[in-house]
Amino acid sequence: MPLITRIFLKTGLLYFIGALFVGVALQVDFLGIPNLVPLFWHMLMLGWITQIIFGVSLWMFPGRIKEESFQNQKWSWLTYILLNSGLILRLISEPMIIQSEDYLWKVLLTVSAVLQFVAVICYVIEIWPRVLSNKQRRKKKRAKS
Amino acid sequence: MTLPSRLLIKASLVYLLIGSFLGMILLINKGLNFEPAIWAFLPVHIELMIFGWIIQFTLGVAYWMLPRFLEGEPRGQSFLAYIMVFVLNLGIWLFILTELTEVSDTFRLIARSLELVGVLLFAGLHWRRVVTYNKRGNH
Repeated sequence: MPLITRIFLKTGLLYFIGALFVGVALQVDFLGIPNLVPLFWHMLMLGWITQIIFGVSLWMFPGRIKEESFQNQKWSWLTYILLNSGLILRLISEPMIIQSEDYLWKVLLTVSAVLQFVAVICYVIEIWPRVLSNKQRRKKKRAKS
Repeated sequence: MTLPSRLLIKASLVYLLIGSFLGMILLINKGLNFEPAIWAFLPVHIELMIFGWIIQFTLGVAYWMLPRFLEGEPRGQSFLAYIMVFVLNLGIWLFILTELTEVSDTFRLIARSLELVGVLLFAGLHWRRVVTYNKRGNH
């Protein structure tokens, strides 16, 4: 399993645990932090499920370059960095836009939104050409060699 | 990777792009509040991300990766797989259209029913593929 996949999966597991902590806290109204419901759903659907899908597909889909390096896997690494910096920024700024009047939090929330979307673009750039039939895969291999 | 899988996976990637673009706009609007009417797109964002992206992608990968039949068509009747792709996507598009326009709730019912037909076809096509060909049968 390549390093990038291991990192995606382990980060996904951390979000899964975090999301369930938030889910429990929501039921007992323990934290008293505003905007927790969208955070719970995005930690679960984006932090956990989408991140797991990204990690496993980058590993299992045909056409993976076996030699691991940032250069060979740049779109995958960019996906990971942008997605997680965007998500973490969201976790911080989304509750703060209710608690504080400071414009900075609104700007940070906007930045987090853009980072997450750009991460998705990077993932699609990496994975789209790897959705191949066996015939296309053989043709691509022949063209490379 | 077979054609129905590629159709499902590539469609799911398109939904992912559109759904996350909408998500970006919704989140920016949450911070900057430039157009309250944008919230009307929230159900579309949810439909695109859950049915369009996550569910459709997993169906596409499962159709490709689950054990194949040893005799006959390796993944069952392929025309049923194409119908599955078609009705699932028709359901998603009809649901989105219903959310964006003021058509009758009957369309929402039809949309969900189409998605149900897609999922039933998926279950029917894959039920007998959830097997082991290991002789001991315990792996």
